[in-house]
Amino acid sequence: MATLAERASEGIAPPRRRKAAPLGVSIWRWVVLLVTGAYFLIPLWAALRFAGIGAFGSVVGEAGFTSSLALSVRLAVITTLLTIALILPTAVYVHLRLPKLRRLLEGITILPIVIPPVVLIVGVLAIAPGVLKGTSLLLALVYVVLAMPFAYRAIDAGLRALDLKTIVEASNSLGAGWGSTLWRVILPNLRTALLSATVLTVALVLGEFTIASLDLYQTFPVWIYVNSQTSGQVSVAASLLALFVTWVFLLVITVLGSRQSRKTGGGEVTLFTVARTETRGN
Amino acid sequence: MTTNTAGNAATTADTIGQPERGGGTSVLLCDLTRAFGATRALDGLSIDMAPGELVALLGPSGCGKTTALRIVAGFETADTGSVLVDGKDISSVPAARRDMGMVFQSYSLFPNMSALDNVGFGLRMRKIGAGERRKQAGDLLDMVGLAPQASQYPHQLSGGQQQRVALARALAIEPRVLLLDEPLSALDAKVRLQLREQIRTLQQRLGTTTLFVTHDQEEALSMADRVGVMSNGRLEQIAAPDELYTDPATAFVAEFVGVMNRIPGELQAGDQVTALGSTIPVRGHRLGQSAVDVLVRPEGLRLEVVENGNGIVTTRTFLGSVTRVGVQLSGDVAVQVDRPSAEAAALAPGASVAVSLPAQPVLVAARRVS
Repeated sequence: MATLAERASEGIAPPRRRKAAPLGVSIWRWVVLLVTGAYFLIPLWAALRFAGIGAFGSVVGEAGFTSSLALSVRLAVITTLLTIALILPTAVYVHLRLPKLRRLLEGITILPIVIPPVVLIVGVLAIAPGVLKGTSLLLALVYVVLAMPFAYRAIDAGLRALDLKTIVEASNSLGAGWGSTLWRVILPNLRTALLSATVLTVALVLGEFTIASLDLYQTFPVWIYVNSQTSGQVSVAASLLALFVTWVFLLVITVLGSRQSRKTGGGEVTLFTVARTETRGN
Repeated sequence: MTTNTAGNAATTADTIGQPERGGGTSVLLCDLTRAFGATRALDGLSIDMAPGELVALLGPSGCGKTTALRIVAGFETADTGSVLVDGKDISSVPAARRDMGMVFQSYSLFPNMSALDNVGFGLRMRKIGAGERRKQAGDLLDMVGLAPQASQYPHQLSGGQQQRVALARALAIEPRVLLLDEPLSALDAKVRLQLREQIRTLQQRLGTTTLFVTHDQEEALSMADRVGVMSNGRLEQIAAPDELYTDPATAFVAEFVGVMNRIPGELQAGDQVTALGSTIPVRGHRLGQSAVDVLVRPEGLRLEVVENGNGIVTTRTFLGSVTRVGVQLSGDVAVQVDRPSAEAAALAPGASVAVSLPAQPVLVAARRVS
């Protein structure tokens, strides 16, 4: 069974050997890596030095820390759920039934990037129903709009990588209704895409400042800003903490995603594209 | 074209041996019509399939064969007409409840499931317990020779293996009807040949009524009990493979199935046609015009080596027991003639030959202007 084992391991880890680069190229790689690394790491190091280790301890005790962080996390969860609940069925439906509308939908979903956040929030506040004003749900709804371009693209890329029509029909012919098809066939194959959409949405919500501050919500970024007026060190420590938490979060999602794609032959998990390696020939 | 009822069609099942499982299901496609915009994909298609029969729908792309299959599967709806399974109209039954196994042209396995789980999916939808499901799915994988690959994922399987898993998955639900939508066209020639035989053997063993869509005539002729040739949404002829070849009903069928020569001729009174200096009877439809092409297969033409004949040998292709000889006739007409290889030695390119028509009645078609 040696051949079988070989084939199995080949499938799990597709060989992607790189030729050793010539010396000149190799040196340049290191130079680029060092310069970029310095560009990113020096500010972090400076921030860490400025804040001092002690500031991290006092961050947690600061007034408003817990409530603002809780608000941001709550917003991230609500926004992500709403976004996926809205975008996923829409994207699936458009792929299956209205493929001609895909272009139009792409155009529509790019709008939130083009429209400045200030314009968006002024517009929203002008038309929002009274019951929503001042609630975190209103902010979450605005964030759904902001997250749409990223979430749609991530899910769209995942759907493109699937032969959606065929697997849906295969599932139907085997006796699965729409619910089972969505739950057992479409969702598991979009796991990576959904993770990407989640990462982008969460990162967006945790970092958004303009809209929250204009609408007077004290989210975590707003709290950091307000706090920096009184205690610079604590707010820098809080920023670093936020950065660290986001990194850990991205790492977890990337690991989860690549474990899944190793199993099913999907591509690497990246934030914007979910490329699936093509099936080997006969 | 058959429009007989399911009752007397049951005799066909006897000719392919007793099915192992159940009595099979009869399928009747009744006057199906389907238009996409101005295009008539199906134009009054009727086919009667006997229990356990394998019917192939053959035709060029765009002839409506896939539309017909998709209507039977429940993925398309017919504008008019109905599909009867065991005498019951299933037009309003959704695809998920039709109990039809389908194998698709493109690889359709669920990428997130192992081969075993793919095969077991239909059983899971039928609420069959995990243990029983694994056993049945395992048996089916064994049947298509893929038991060792049970735990592999689709991307770890070759194209041929994937289609075999897809076949096992379609058969797992013990479908009343098996629908095959060009399942072999994405595979290379050798795998295609093996899988063709495997599908046919399994289908006969299980006695599952099967509708098979293909544009490959060799596939259709070698696998099917009957082959329906389609053109422009219509069924030109449905018949056993040998009958289709030797006795084509229309000029379209004659030219689509196998190799066919066209030789210019003139229609005469009394259903006769004159071509290559002889006058012979015409079979089938009469045409309004007198300028026609006579249709004769390579093995039907007669060929003799003579001085100053009506043609000159241009090519000679050895095909095993026969040799196919290309002959250029006067008037810029090229024909192909099959001769036993033993007699073909004298037919070197450049040799002068006399080509003549057989004595049997021939088919004619409107002359093609080239």
